[in-house]
Amino acid sequence: MAVTAKAFQLWRSRIAPQDTVSDVCRVAGIKRSTLAQQLVRGKVSVPTVVAIARGYGLPPVNALAVFEGYEDLPDGIKPPTDAELVSQVSHIDILRLLVARSEDRECAGTDLQLDLASFPHRNSVRAWVEAVDPGDLRQRLAESTGVARQNLSAQLTAGRLAPEIAVQAARIAGVSLTSGLVVTGLLTPVEGGWPPDGRARALCALADLDLVFLARDRLDVLGKQIRRAELDDGKDRAMWENLG
Amino acid sequence: MTALTIQWVALGLCVVGAAVRIPGLRKRHGRTIFAALVLLTVAVALSIEPIYLAVDGFLGGANIANLLLRLMLYAVFLLLGIRMAAAFDSNLARRLVVGPVGVTILALVVAATLYFFVTSELSGSSTALRDFGDQDTVQHYAAAGRLYPGYVAACLVIPAVAAVLDHEARTIHRVASAFLACSFSIVVVFVLLRLTPVNLMAWDIVLPFSAIVLTVVGLCLIWLSHTLGRRRTRQANKLV
Repeated sequence: MAVTAKAFQLWRSRIAPQDTVSDVCRVAGIKRSTLAQQLVRGKVSVPTVVAIARGYGLPPVNALAVFEGYEDLPDGIKPPTDAELVSQVSHIDILRLLVARSEDRECAGTDLQLDLASFPHRNSVRAWVEAVDPGDLRQRLAESTGVARQNLSAQLTAGRLAPEIAVQAARIAGVSLTSGLVVTGLLTPVEGGWPPDGRARALCALADLDLVFLARDRLDVLGKQIRRAELDDGKDRAMWENLG
Repeated sequence: MTALTIQWVALGLCVVGAAVRIPGLRKRHGRTIFAALVLLTVAVALSIEPIYLAVDGFLGGANIANLLLRLMLYAVFLLLGIRMAAAFDSNLARRLVVGPVGVTILALVVAATLYFFVTSELSGSSTALRDFGDQDTVQHYAAAGRLYPGYVAACLVIPAVAAVLDHEARTIHRVASAFLACSFSIVVVFVLLRLTPVNLMAWDIVLPFSAIVLTVVGLCLIWLSHTLGRRRTRQANKLV
């Protein structure tokens, strides 16, 4: 869900009293038609607000805090947990570390450059939800947001999570309220208060056993995704080759 | 009026459905379905009075055109049946269509069609043999003509419905499957209704031709999905 157009206009008149809607779009680098459409519908999307805040040099977190449902965002920023940090490392990087350790090119305290791929990665959202889940996260999330569980699952499968659901998930899990917005790519890690070297540090801190099981779990997820994709490809091909 | 309209609509759609597949033929894409659509186009054309009278007049005015129409329709259902069973990945439907049962039914229906055609008194062109409806052999001839399409359609209804309910499939394929499932159901309902003494009146034309329209629309959707899908292929490297 998004913020109301009324609240948005109020905020816009405060941060850029002289600027027209066109000016705002130019500064934020968004299409004028996109914002116009959102205003007509009475709902302005959260990414639009974040883009405008960035355009005017405001911290997006503080900008979002103006709107209903996000008021507690600035006070809710905490350092991410190690589980969250590790969840945002791609499976390729995890395997690279595993290989490095197997060849005694240990990283902790040494000069091995991990050079982790930027995140969000392909399974960022689901991996984060699993990392912060105290056990009944999905159920409580469905109850408190009114979004059906199948809908939540569909969002996670597609690698998406609506901003207000991401924030609510962080509230329930008791982690930094910006984490969900970082792993969905709405905020940059810096904007969300994630330390730049946090992921490498958390990853290197894993014991061998944990690293191996982490790699196994990630490969398991990947294997299921590939099987699913190949099944879908096979179905598409059957349709196309026979009837197309 | 509606009956005539839907016949012309069906003819137009068949022509379009076949025409869009011509460019792909060189690359050996969709030859079977193209052949089925061409046969279907001819069959539909022969169901329309002025075309039938012209063609049958050329063939000698003994309603040979009607016999050709029937045989072409069987071929259409055989080709569609094989391809649809494969597309819906239904082993059972495939075995029912091309297995011993399906082949036996087809052979019997063709034999019956030929027999009743020969034994009927059919001098003078008449679209759908309407002028000869009082002959028993002509009625048997028509009944045999509905049997095979009805059988193949019945084999395909369940696989098509299953394809509609498949939540993982592409939306366009589910929509196309819904058109096809509707079409097969209509054929089955039509064949069953004709077994009862109910007088279908205009529905006698509307039902089968709406089934043709739905089938061709469904096939066109899948052709469209294939054409679009060739351009943007899915992520090639699944490991990243």
